[in-house]
Amino acid sequence: MSFIEVQDISKTFKVNKRKAGIPGMIANMFAPKFEYKEAVKKISFNIEKGEMVGFIGPNGAGKSTTIKILSGILCPDEGKISVGGYIPYKQRKEYAADIGVVFGQKSQLQWDLPVIDSFELLKAIYRIPEDKYKKNLDRYTDMLDMNGFINQPVRQLSLGQRMRSDIVASLLHSPEIVFFDEPTIGVDIIGKETIRNFIKELNEKDKVTMIFTTHDMQDIEQTCNRLIIIDKGSIMYDGSLHEIRNKYGTSRELIAEFNEETRVQPINDVIIEDKEDRRVSFTFDNNVTDVNKLMHEILGKYSVRDITVKEPEIESIIQKMYTGEAFV
Amino acid sequence: MKISPYMAFAKKSFLQKSAYRLEHWMGILNTLIRLVIYVEIYRALYGGRETVDGITMSMVTTNFILSLGLESFFVVNDYYLSSRLYDGSIATEMLLPVSFHGRMLADNLGTAAFKLIFHFVPAMIVACLFIGIQAPAGPGMFGLFILSALLGYGVLWSISFLFQMFSFWLMNVWAVMTIKNVFINVLSGSMIPLWFMPGFMRTLIGFTPFESIYFTPVQIYLGKITGSEIILGFAKQIIWIVALLLLGFMVWQKGQKKIVVQGG
Repeated sequence: MSFIEVQDISKTFKVNKRKAGIPGMIANMFAPKFEYKEAVKKISFNIEKGEMVGFIGPNGAGKSTTIKILSGILCPDEGKISVGGYIPYKQRKEYAADIGVVFGQKSQLQWDLPVIDSFELLKAIYRIPEDKYKKNLDRYTDMLDMNGFINQPVRQLSLGQRMRSDIVASLLHSPEIVFFDEPTIGVDIIGKETIRNFIKELNEKDKVTMIFTTHDMQDIEQTCNRLIIIDKGSIMYDGSLHEIRNKYGTSRELIAEFNEETRVQPINDVIIEDKEDRRVSFTFDNNVTDVNKLMHEILGKYSVRDITVKEPEIESIIQKMYTGEAFV
Repeated sequence: MKISPYMAFAKKSFLQKSAYRLEHWMGILNTLIRLVIYVEIYRALYGGRETVDGITMSMVTTNFILSLGLESFFVVNDYYLSSRLYDGSIATEMLLPVSFHGRMLADNLGTAAFKLIFHFVPAMIVACLFIGIQAPAGPGMFGLFILSALLGYGVLWSISFLFQMFSFWLMNVWAVMTIKNVFINVLSGSMIPLWFMPGFMRTLIGFTPFESIYFTPVQIYLGKITGSEIILGFAKQIIWIVALLLLGFMVWQKGQKKIVVQGG
């Protein structure tokens, strides 16, 4: 049995559908119309202990709903779910003591109190023993470089500082599983890097199981070994990042810079495009055209000054998957 | 030192309450003004007579001092759940390894403790000095009064608890809460001493939880009920608490499935 088992989970929300303006408001008061929005449709996956899994998908794809079901906040309409032997929505209280959750858009810190006071409150709530609390606090604040603002009220912190505080807050009780819902949203590059390194180290050293959602592909590339892509409430892809490249990212772009103005003759299965500064781009499919042959052909025929081959960015592969192009 | 999570919540709300000083002074003033108005209305109605229907003016005054006094620190936050559903903070709330209801109660009790010390006590001293209160029927009765007052708080809290559960279906529970509070004001004896209610109304009110909140403790304090009537009074209070909480938990179980986290 896997550590996290999710089987055919569905969740539908009832949404009041209202026309705009005053006539819409009056109509809605007497005869409200509702529509049902399926946020998650029969999702299934298993996650092993110690895994680090990234959930990505466009806005409104059902990522956050999935995280909220996994963390026991929302109750699924149907399907089975078990995390470390718990049924999250049924055994919420006991389960909550074993997990940590960070919502990038919601803080669990006390707005008016210094960060350290919120931590003290959490220590009481989670009944964390003094020595464990001290050890975790020292270690995490050091790793995330928080000593400069730990005594400041939360409302005076920058977004990046607040996010780091929230991450520590969710880890003080040494949870076995941590859910991150967009932990790097609105954080600058240095902040993001700090958070990523921290997440990575925690997963590698402490074997904490981690699941996180993000829109930033850099987050995924640097931290996750497994990727689950959700769109319109269903899982589109579940596998490694490497595999996704092999499967969907087979296009390559070769750019040659010539010594003089050159007219390139057409080549089979290769799209040729002239660019400025005597450069020409050759776009081809890695499985159809052999790079070696193509390069030989170009080098043999023309006088070339420089040559580069580019892999597609993971971002553009995913983008193609969202829009459905990759499957054509 | 290790303190329980609920104590920590209570302590936090106790400390938070002390941040709003003006509100606090206004609260004391509010209690005293209402007290004076109610007492003066009844003094006018009595028109100089000592007793009406066997009820002395000093009993009426005592009823008001006690019920308004209790009211001043019987803290219930009718909007605890709905405000959390409204702004989406229910999500972080549900992630804490504590009972939601326990946390809500601890929060209310922390505030209540603050109000007991800094609102009830000063208001009581002023009221006793300037308006005058009847002495309790006896030391034993005074003890029973305190016990009954605690149960009265239990009834008040349980009513609010049940009504709050409507928040899962109605995003705005203000109207429901206002109606509930009108019923409590009129039928609990804190506005009209229940002795003056017509006979059939008294009987009717006897079947509701409202008289258990303030009126039962007041009756015990004054020695208006004795022996088996006191036991009946306690029994009613306990039955109401259990029934309302049970009902509340049943609705909670249903409502919990309907949680929607607003705002992402």
